[in-house]
Amino acid sequence: MVVYLRSGGKLRDRLKPDVDQYTRKFEIGGTPTLREILVAMDIPFALVAFGFSQGKVRRLDYRPSEGEVVTLQPPVAGG
Amino acid sequence: MRIKVDKSRCTGCKLCQQICTIEHYHEINPKKAAIHIGAEFPAPGVFTPMLCVQCGACARACPEIAIERTGNDGAFVIDPSKCTNCGVCIETCPIGVMYSHADAPTPIKCDLCLKCTEVCNTGALTVVDTPRATSR
Amino acid sequence: MYGYGGTIVRINLETGEIGRSPTPETFAREWLGARGFVAKTIYDEVPRDADPLGPENLFIIAPGVLTGSFAPCGSKVGFGCVSPLTNGHADSNMGGHLGPELKFAGYDMIVFERISPKPVYLFVDDDTIELRPAEQYWGMGSLDLEARMKKDLGEDFQIATIGPAGENGVAFACITHDFGRQAGRCGVGAVMGSKKIKAIAVRGTRSLPVHDLPGLTKHTYDIIQRTKTHPNMEPWQKYGTALFVSWANEHGCFPSRNFQTTVHEGWEGISGEKLAEEVLVTHKACFGCWMNCGKYSRARIPGKPDAYLEGPEYETIALCGGSCGMTDIHHVAYANYLCDNLGLDTMSGGNIVGFAMECFQRGIITQKDLEGHELRWGNIDDFEHFLRMIAARRGIGETFSHGTRAAAQKLGRGTIEFAEQAKGMEFSGYDTRWYSAQLLSYCTSDIGAHHNRSWAITADIELGQDTPVGKAPVVIYLQHIRPLFDTWPCCRLFWGELDVTPEEHAEAIKYLTGWAMTIEESMRVSEKIWNLTRAHYLERNGGPGRKHDVAPLRQLEERIPNGPAEGRKVGTENFEYMLNDYYANRGWDRDGNPTREVLELLGLKHAADNLEKRGLLGKPIPGGIPKVRGQKLKPKAM
Repeated sequence: MVVYLRSGGKLRDRLKPDVDQYTRKFEIGGTPTLREILVAMDIPFALVAFGFSQGKVRRLDYRPSEGEVVTLQPPVAGG
Repeated sequence: MRIKVDKSRCTGCKLCQQICTIEHYHEINPKKAAIHIGAEFPAPGVFTPMLCVQCGACARACPEIAIERTGNDGAFVIDPSKCTNCGVCIETCPIGVMYSHADAPTPIKCDLCLKCTEVCNTGALTVVDTPRATSR
Repeated sequence: MYGYGGTIVRINLETGEIGRSPTPETFAREWLGARGFVAKTIYDEVPRDADPLGPENLFIIAPGVLTGSFAPCGSKVGFGCVSPLTNGHADSNMGGHLGPELKFAGYDMIVFERISPKPVYLFVDDDTIELRPAEQYWGMGSLDLEARMKKDLGEDFQIATIGPAGENGVAFACITHDFGRQAGRCGVGAVMGSKKIKAIAVRGTRSLPVHDLPGLTKHTYDIIQRTKTHPNMEPWQKYGTALFVSWANEHGCFPSRNFQTTVHEGWEGISGEKLAEEVLVTHKACFGCWMNCGKYSRARIPGKPDAYLEGPEYETIALCGGSCGMTDIHHVAYANYLCDNLGLDTMSGGNIVGFAMECFQRGIITQKDLEGHELRWGNIDDFEHFLRMIAARRGIGETFSHGTRAAAQKLGRGTIEFAEQAKGMEFSGYDTRWYSAQLLSYCTSDIGAHHNRSWAITADIELGQDTPVGKAPVVIYLQHIRPLFDTWPCCRLFWGELDVTPEEHAEAIKYLTGWAMTIEESMRVSEKIWNLTRAHYLERNGGPGRKHDVAPLRQLEERIPNGPAEGRKVGTENFEYMLNDYYANRGWDRDGNPTREVLELLGLKHAADNLEKRGLLGKPIPGGIPKVRGQKLKPKAM
């Protein structure tokens, strides 16, 4: 399946965007979880706080659907 | 067209006020903006952007005929060469969106320049098409 | 001068005299604003033995060059003084709309001296500055008073208030504004209260003088359009900082029950999603911010009146929530409201109540101390009763009103071992046993344990959580770049979240002032301030510096009992290693004292002379100080 991942900041460098400046198109077999996708992309999942798609927070055990666009949000300090 | 206000989306950031005064007065001075942001706090906790809806009541009331539909897409605009700053338009405005400021030569109202809609990031201020009214 | 309000105000509260002078351009350029203005003024003018709650301390309000400027997120205003918690330099800033209003009124700094004989509030209306009677307001809650003053003076006034806690001199009292923004840390509210200043009301109707407005407008307009579609924009707009509760629990840095462990049972009940589902009323923004991270909420608890508040933020959820054993977002929101209205920092407040809860758990304090009440984990009624005792400094509340360290010193019985604080100011919302760079950050911070100075959590992940190696240079870099946002000042979340670079923030200064000021120059200002406040701290508290850069025993030696970080601790040896590395990289000696070489390089010869007179100057470093102090984190090669 194909999934689109978006991120900014340092996480973006690890994502290696190829669709636009934030977005990477990634092909992977089966219907993996976000965690499994991150492992396949060699992104340490400690650097991802959660996914975000269709206006909702997605935990790392979320399984994206075909063609879904998921933002990867890194952890950061609040105030 | 007109500016549609969705108050449920307003966050009180005042970007609209800043760009308004930059555009019209070449200044950063929210108190001179043609849009005010009402704030009802602590309860119910709601912001309300308030700006001219181009109803024309001010134009009809102006004793100097200084307000005419000469603005962007038929917006009512004050002609500073005719305006005496008498303030009748401010009293007449049915929804209280004709503003004033000590440094402004005329009362202040929205002229549909639409800059505020370009900077608003929440959808509180958007541009919608409407058929032009045939009043006046 | 462009970019600034133009006038500095000095008020003698004893005599009522109000003096104005033009803001010197050299002063503005050298110190920029907020934290910088505060550091310079406190260092130069407050006697080293001044009581923080006495007449010789100063209370300073200062926006800065980026405030009210149409530069991204120019909302901030700084407050400063000598802190009653740490006995050192304090600055704490808030967003909202007060800072911009001061700039539009034409002011860059207001310095309050001495103590007013009666409660007053500061009234500023463009050129008019008055100290007005505030007896009728004394005793009111912070939020309640703001509502009242908006009615009394008008909606277009920006108001900041202290609550009863600030009036009573509780050491971690805060200042509240815009129904929920705070200058929370360092006890700035206590100093404001010690001077009998109940509130500040400002209206400014003038415009900000700008050197190149078309340039500035285009600069910011382009950033607005670019960041609208940034991947992080939507989650931040929707959830704000509360969204990190899940990550912190999943990665073992969330404080649970006074940092007894680092994954909180029931954290799902106090997550960002729960906030959005259950208590959120509206999204709320600071001046000039289009990310609107503020979450205005309503807590509903049966038997209690509805409580409106801005929050709870991640920090409040961590400290009033996890650290006090709570599992219901309504309870955390209500705790937030209590702190805000009483005028207490939710971070220190949550930390202290959690500490007291552990004391109760261990039988060190009992129902007899608590006026017949208990202090059970997660119990909002117990939390409320005890918080009110602290705010009133009543009974044992008096002991805790001086902060966790002071309370532990008074209680004895080994309580200092589980008091999570550094230099007398309470840890913010991160347990550091698996995040040694964060522990180093907390313990070397000039204002005590606050992550605004350095947030190194992802640096720990990138560099390796189980090693102390390589942490110090990164912490130093963060201690320069993060407090730079407290100096400009502007919100650091655009840099942190939306890829707006420090260079772009510095560029805005050029359009505003006409100064060709690079980011390097700004960073140099930040490093200078860091060393100045270090010198100030040593002059007030004695030395050597190393004696003060101390970590809580729980973080060093008590292994986390369960969860993702089970078994972790930093270890004393690792901490000492990091401190040695830190001092060497700062150009300080092994005792943690700044050397003459680094101080003079930064233009602080007078500070070097002062330290030398007191025997606190760092010994010269053989081979000289590092050419560059601090290093930006380089992510591991992929």
